[in-house]
Amino acid sequence: MLERQSNLKAWLYLAPALILLSIFIFYPLFNAFLISFFKDVVIEDMSTDGFAGIDNYSEVLRNGNFKNALVNTSVIVFVSVPLSVVIALFISVGLKSIKKLQGVFQTIFFLPYVTNAIAIGMAFAFIFHRDYGLLNTMMGWFGVDPINWIGAGATWGRAMTALLIFSIWGGLAFKILVFLSGLQGIDKQYYDAAKIDSAPRGRIFTKITIPLLSPMIAYVTITSFIGAFKVYTTVVGMFGASMGTSGNPRQMITVVGLVYSYIGDIGEGGTAASIAIILFLITLAFTGIQMQVSKKRVHY
Amino acid sequence: MNEKDIRKSQIKRTVFNVILYTFLVLVALFVIIPFYWMILTAIKSDFDLVVVPPKLFLKYNEIVFQNFADAFERAPFGRNMLNTLIVAGISTVGTLITTVFAAFAFARLNFKGRDLLFIVLIATMMIPGEIFVITNYSTVARLGWLGGNNIPQVYSQALLAMTLPFMTSVFYIFFLRQSFKRIPDELYFAAKVDGTSDFKYLWRIMVPIAKPTIITITILNAMGTWNAYIWPNLVTDNASFRLVTDGLRNAYSELGGRTIFNEQMAAALIITTPLLITFLLLKKYIMRGVSRSGIKG
Amino acid sequence: MEVKLQGITKIFVQKDKTEVVAVKSMDIVIPSGKLIGLLGPSGCGKSTTLYMIAGLHKPNEGRIFFGDEDVTDMAPEDRGIGLVFQNYALYPHMTVRQNIMFPLENIKVPKPEAVIRAQEMADLVGIGDLMDRKPKELSGGQQQRVAIARALVKKPRVLLLDEPLSNLDARLRLQTREEIKRIQRETGITTIFVTHDQEEAMSISDEIVLMELGVKQQVGIPQDVYDNPSNLFSAKFLGTPPINIFEAIIKSKKVVLAGNIIGKSKAEDQDVLVGIRPEGFEVDEKGSLKLTVDMVETIGRDTSLIMVDPTKKGETFRAIVDSQHRIKPGDVVKTNIRPEKMFVFNPNTGQLIN
Ligand SMILES: Nc1ncnc2c1ncn2[C@@H]1O[C@H](COP(=O)(O)OP(=O)(O)OP(=O)(O)O)[C@@H](O)[C@H]1O
Ligand SMILES: [Mg+2]
Repeated sequence: MLERQSNLKAWLYLAPALILLSIFIFYPLFNAFLISFFKDVVIEDMSTDGFAGIDNYSEVLRNGNFKNALVNTSVIVFVSVPLSVVIALFISVGLKSIKKLQGVFQTIFFLPYVTNAIAIGMAFAFIFHRDYGLLNTMMGWFGVDPINWIGAGATWGRAMTALLIFSIWGGLAFKILVFLSGLQGIDKQYYDAAKIDSAPRGRIFTKITIPLLSPMIAYVTITSFIGAFKVYTTVVGMFGASMGTSGNPRQMITVVGLVYSYIGDIGEGGTAASIAIILFLITLAFTGIQMQVSKKRVHY
Repeated sequence: MNEKDIRKSQIKRTVFNVILYTFLVLVALFVIIPFYWMILTAIKSDFDLVVVPPKLFLKYNEIVFQNFADAFERAPFGRNMLNTLIVAGISTVGTLITTVFAAFAFARLNFKGRDLLFIVLIATMMIPGEIFVITNYSTVARLGWLGGNNIPQVYSQALLAMTLPFMTSVFYIFFLRQSFKRIPDELYFAAKVDGTSDFKYLWRIMVPIAKPTIITITILNAMGTWNAYIWPNLVTDNASFRLVTDGLRNAYSELGGRTIFNEQMAAALIITTPLLITFLLLKKYIMRGVSRSGIKG
Repeated sequence: MEVKLQGITKIFVQKDKTEVVAVKSMDIVIPSGKLIGLLGPSGCGKSTTLYMIAGLHKPNEGRIFFGDEDVTDMAPEDRGIGLVFQNYALYPHMTVRQNIMFPLENIKVPKPEAVIRAQEMADLVGIGDLMDRKPKELSGGQQQRVAIARALVKKPRVLLLDEPLSNLDARLRLQTREEIKRIQRETGITTIFVTHDQEEAMSISDEIVLMELGVKQQVGIPQDVYDNPSNLFSAKFLGTPPINIFEAIIKSKKVVLAGNIIGKSKAEDQDVLVGIRPEGFEVDEKGSLKLTVDMVETIGRDTSLIMVDPTKKGETFRAIVDSQHRIKPGDVVKTNIRPEKMFVFNPNTGQLIN
């Protein structure tokens, strides 16, 4: 590092990025907080009917749509993230311990990361089709009657099951990749030592691999939770912009989905902003708790 | 420890391996089946589509390509792809320019408030994007880029609206800075002694050395554009201005109970294939980039 | 427990398909209850040999026996061995106690007994009061003892140590080396100790096995190997300062160095290499070999003479003589060569010539 300060030059180099960031990150952040306290904000021109105090917030919290959205989002967060982390963990540890076909499996498992959630969501929707779908066909081999997963009149439980399966499918790739690179970083000697110490596989997994991988596990879990709180595109992929089954729009709506539907409504800018901020606060609080927990559990 | 015990532990190991491979194969099937289903459905005739139980394989003479033609007729996917490439190109070039400059300042130059500014930038990465979207939507609207009452949006406005907010990225600044930091100081001092300007040093020395990172950023940014749905969907309503992903979703929204899944899958396949090809060709860069940077999709 | 290697060969196939022969047709018998030093330069295949005994590497050829039992195909966890790794491989997330207890838990020793045994073992190696620390809170020497304790706690049939002292400073190295010897005597476990430090091997081992480039060179009691090297490598590798090598000839049963007769030999006339240990030079008025002194270093009771090599221009070598001789740089001294400190080798094969 050069000792001499070069203030002007530095700010010139920073200017392009900073100008854009100010317009599209800093100002919007400030503005979102601001308008969340105003009545009937028209997003297009930011006109408003005046200060509303915390009315937007209290209305949102009383709003049934918001409750639905929060329930849907929470189910997705608290079911799909833990499940996919655990599955990804087993896959990566299994993958690490095989000798043949490692590269092929790795490529396959990574495919969902590079595919488009909307396109593959449509494919999933058709897999779950009651009459022509693959899943019901396969379950039919075992004598199970066709189930209406996501068609008109499907129950919330079934639609949610389908959505969760899709979410897990989409979430595995990234986690496997990070876990694999974490496993790569564990010194092979620990495994040799464990073998010498006659540790059975199960104990090697719980006593060596998991603790040594724990920083990665914590990292993946935290980022996945943050990501899952923002779930939106997955739902649109599978259920379309209505975010629900046919005849029952918004059945599967998520918090972010609700934000976008309010952005689309005239005069609801304040509501949209207050929902986004509530979501941010929930995520923040949850992440904080998680970091506290992992501080105790994670070995560095 | 005798022969029998050795045999026993060998058998145990074999059984374990069989279970492990079975598990991996099953997961691999779980991952691949949606792709297979997409491809299979895309080449099914309208007749085969509604056969119960559905056919899981097609004979050679049952394959039809009509669905692709229908898909291209329903929505301007060719145009959408071109739009996507243009938007990806513009935003990638823009992002690279702004992030290379900013990363250089953070990695190489010494200025007042550097560390504080860096922390502030990093902190913004934790904030969910929806908070920005509300105001950004308003900003592009007030700039007139969405068109107005009875004034239709024009193409250049749509392009501006889709690219300008993504012309920089805190994450890539951070990512590039890490690469720049790994370049030894001696190179810089040597260049200074030779009378090289900072600007020349940046483009002639640092950028070439950080090429792998720059390639990774380019690929990830382009793939991100290809998969972008939310923002492009907000800022344009014109079917021929759309990018592929929202083009796809909008072409097949609200179809009610009608079963044109084969055409829908053909369309999905059209926009998935370029991605998969890109991935298989550039696997090394993508996987390395993602695992090193830990970008969440 | 006697350990026997029969014709062990290990070939590594590298990524680019080239083969590395790390160990070649090794035959060793390690008597029960002895401490054997496996000695050789870096990269000669010591760790590989040890890992094959441990079962972490599978030999391409040959068999390994513990006593009468063929363990070649046995998994490491079934062999009942203790291994101390080159850099200890202590589990970083476990305390000292957990590290030492880990092998016992694996073989399902009841917890109360495991705690007692771990404590006993920790006391034996002198770290009984550090049980609740994590490895990174320990010094190198302490970590090394934890590793030994972990290896010994399950009462292994064989203890393997892979350069366990290489990360320690000189003083600690001397101290722990004595300690390993003591622990080995107290437990009576057959032990194989790998090192590339000849002094360490000589001082600690009941027997040493000398290796080079994957091939066994010589086996024996340290002093015997030093006194009777069977080839040039053994002669060069053992001893500090190292042996001096000169080009010489044998002529009519005499060893002739730079025109001076320095000893006798039964061999035919031929070109040879002569190795003379530094302490093999005897200053004597009637000595046959005239040498010019370049420098004199007196350390304690010994005097090192740096002498001009009579066979190679510009080279010097070192001799150690009694300090009673008053010798100055530039002096020409007459010396005799002690026959038991002189070895004659075939220059092509490196084998000893009688
Ligand atoms: N996994 C491997 N793949 C390829 N070659 C290897 C492998 N392990 C060891 N070798 C090679 O085998 C030879 C012997 O290695 P080994 O580790 O046994 O040496 P060593 O005597 O223990 O050396 P040191 O004293 O440096 O530890 C070396 O040439 C080494 O490069
Ligand atoms: Mg070694």
